[in-house]
Amino acid sequence: MKRELELNVNDELWEVNVEPHKTLLEVLREDIGFTGAKEGCGLGACGTCTVLVEGAPLLSCLTLALEVQHKRITTIEGLVEGGRPDPVQKAFIEHGAIQCGFCTPGNILSAKALLDRNPRASREEIEEALAGNLCRCTGYQKIVEAVESLVGSE
Amino acid sequence: MGSETYSQVGKAQPQIDALAKATGQAKYTADFNLPRMLVGKLLGSPHPHARVLSVDASKAIALKGVKAVVTGRDVLGKKYGMFKSRRDETGLALKARYVGDPVAAVAAVDEETALEALDLISIEYDVLPAVFDPEEAMKEGAPQLHDEYERNVVADTHYDFGDADAGFKESDHIREDHFFMQPNSHGCMEPRGVLVDYDITGKFTMWTSTQSPFHVRRDTSRALGIPLSKVRIIKPHVGGGFGGKIETHPMHIAAALLAMKTARPVQIILSREEEISITRIRAAMQIHVKTGVRKDGAIMAQYVKIIADSGAYSSTSIMMMYNAGLSCMIPYRIPNFKYDGYQVYTNKAVSGPFRGHGANQPRFAVESQLDMIAEDINMDPAALRLRNASQTGDTTISGLNFVSCELSRAIEESTKKAEWDKKRGRKETNRGIGMACGGFVCGARGAGHTASGTNIHVNEDGGVTVLSGASDIGQGCNSMMAQITAEELGIPVSDVTVIAADTETTPIDPGTFSSRVTFYSGNATLIAARQVKSQLAEIAATLMEASADDILFRDKKVFVKGSPDRFIPFGELVKRAEGFGHGRLIIGQGQWAPTNTQFPDRKTKWGNVSGSYSFSTQIAEVEVDRETGQVKVLDVTIGDDCGQVINPMSVEGQAEGSVYMGIGHAFLEQTIFGDNGQMMNPSFLDFKMATPLECAPATMVEVGKPDPIGPYGAKEIGEGLLITSVPAIVNAIYDAVGVRIKELPVTPEKILDALEKKETEGKS
Ligand code: FES
Ligand code: FES
Repeated sequence: MKRELELNVNDELWEVNVEPHKTLLEVLREDIGFTGAKEGCGLGACGTCTVLVEGAPLLSCLTLALEVQHKRITTIEGLVEGGRPDPVQKAFIEHGAIQCGFCTPGNILSAKALLDRNPRASREEIEEALAGNLCRCTGYQKIVEAVESLVGSE
Repeated sequence: MGSETYSQVGKAQPQIDALAKATGQAKYTADFNLPRMLVGKLLGSPHPHARVLSVDASKAIALKGVKAVVTGRDVLGKKYGMFKSRRDETGLALKARYVGDPVAAVAAVDEETALEALDLISIEYDVLPAVFDPEEAMKEGAPQLHDEYERNVVADTHYDFGDADAGFKESDHIREDHFFMQPNSHGCMEPRGVLVDYDITGKFTMWTSTQSPFHVRRDTSRALGIPLSKVRIIKPHVGGGFGGKIETHPMHIAAALLAMKTARPVQIILSREEEISITRIRAAMQIHVKTGVRKDGAIMAQYVKIIADSGAYSSTSIMMMYNAGLSCMIPYRIPNFKYDGYQVYTNKAVSGPFRGHGANQPRFAVESQLDMIAEDINMDPAALRLRNASQTGDTTISGLNFVSCELSRAIEESTKKAEWDKKRGRKETNRGIGMACGGFVCGARGAGHTASGTNIHVNEDGGVTVLSGASDIGQGCNSMMAQITAEELGIPVSDVTVIAADTETTPIDPGTFSSRVTFYSGNATLIAARQVKSQLAEIAATLMEASADDILFRDKKVFVKGSPDRFIPFGELVKRAEGFGHGRLIIGQGQWAPTNTQFPDRKTKWGNVSGSYSFSTQIAEVEVDRETGQVKVLDVTIGDDCGQVINPMSVEGQAEGSVYMGIGHAFLEQTIFGDNGQMMNPSFLDFKMATPLECAPATMVEVGKPDPIGPYGAKEIGEGLLITSVPAIVNAIYDAVGVRIKELPVTPEKILDALEKKETEGKS
């Protein structure tokens, strides 16, 4: 039985009519159309589906959409403001932290959440915060450097 | 590296699509959606070896929302595959050869219904005896997987160059050792997928996660008996490939069939479990190496024997086994070389190309053994390598010709940078340092078509469109082509749009493999851009009353040499060109393949297969915890002769990615098989890859000089570096604690066991 859900994604309210067992990832991708969140494993083991809920990273493949009604959900698309990318997105670009890009939305959102919470994060803290976001291409060095470049820069 | 005469080449630049990727706008196969699209799912065999006797899909078809079921009886049974002589796949099998081998597929209105339908398909099998170990499979009377291959040997590759026996006789010291490298998953973050649209004219349009759209087109047309020109393949963004996405997958054939049958678009996206267990893996190899050296360290002869586990199908077997032998001849001068390579079918997941195609396994073995030899003859391992290093101008005994080779410099500079002499042999610290050298092709010569092509159109406003058949899978070749175009035309990279690849609109291309793309497509782009340039220079020369030879392109302007004030803005020149003469278009067309290669002789395998070769040295520093057996890689230093670097950011990215992957291969990654040949760990929970916590910083020292053949002198780096990562680490472990691991992966248990064994041996 489908249910009417109201989701606050990227500062907009979306009404969707979905099966209650649908994951947030499925609803974002299929019902709303934010395909920036990716399904790399569907089992909570890769981080490509990471979104922010109330500013904290969450694996949307393990979360039912129904659980996060009325919460502030941010996807990678929501970091762009007025056509301008977020500083974290910019840092990833400028530091060459992006190769195939499939892990990128998840990595950027995890980094964003870390920096919001801990703007002076150390290298170890950065590595730990990103350990749940696998990347098969970059070897993480440039990803960590990108995040480090933002530490204490505000 | 960077040169003052270049405006773009040698300058670090983010990928041209980095913004799209960073903002979630880049579209991968799973992000596409078409009206009335159905979801397709594959059904795999539960048996490792079984004939499909009958299929009853009536219950599945009766389920609401199910639109079609297809099986092996719906395909023609026409075999396809990368190599003509080894075609052995049909799309959906009538005889399953491993657990998971796709035997049927279903299309339904949504994923849930499709999955439910799979459970309702009942298949009657005739279960056959199966074999899981390649050496068992080679025995007389072993179950045979494919009728054409007795004893299951699908590739039987032998070299005999020089006189190995004589070389061993002339040696002062000979060693024979045995090594094993584990099977492994590519672990691309994007599971592969396909979306097929079939229209009333009989045309298929497929969006798919591939490294070689033209290859998928060829196989699909073959398997379904439809004209090649009725299949269009479009490659969207691809989330990594590492060799795993070169070939056609049953999902391509199944989705096309289902789309045809239902007259609706069909999308199949593999689950992670399928991505790991029913696509391709790296071949496990048993490697036997015998090497003879003189007292001064000169290698006199080498014999390598490899038994590779093919799994259920051939994939690129003959190429991989050829490479495995060939790659032994690249880094060092070996006057006498003998090789026996066997790739053997077993009832397990299919082995195929994986970054470093066939070279990783023997490199691990040979580089490990070289360190053992160095110890035996009391020589520094770096000095031993330097003693034997290949040089510019060398032609190997197998016919490979090195038009540029800075391996000696790579060894010298990287050991200096890593403080090799100071750090070697400090066992009391539990820290060690080890090295390995390697070399790799810049695109191996295949039979038939190997060239790449690029077309360049100049738009009325001076924007430039590059059309190429090259496949960017994340490594950044679109950016490379944009950079080359921008360099030649004196325009910013942001003025260049790259369209690649689409079998209908871009030039035919073999694909992304064999580290060929910068070399081939880079040169094709250079030719096309220079054509554009000369067309425009001619017009500029007339307009500015100068000689075309004196026209320069820089800063979005077209100048007369020596007169910075005499110029026309690039966009304006293009506009003026339109009205020139009878009105003309500015179009450049380039195609390129090296002319100094030969297809290796079918019998002897003699021949220069690549226009040039990369060379590398990798030095790893590790710390071993004697209590836990844990190893931490502390630092990696790389000397890589990849010629002139076009984009340092991309080159570093490849290097860092190789170091990371090497750490995973050395310690963590391996696909594990159960009693029935079924894969036991097809998930990221059980198949472990390195995270930032296990990674080590990589430092590159510059060693390359421009190569005479590569574009601006560039050579490959995408694969050649990975092959030296693992042996450098394993050699460093030996330097740290004196234990030699010959079977990968290196686990804490193996380290502890070896330490214990060493201690007992020391006491007795
Ligand atoms: S898709 Fe959610 S963690 Fe992998
Ligand atoms: S950039 Fe490819 S997985 Fe991270």
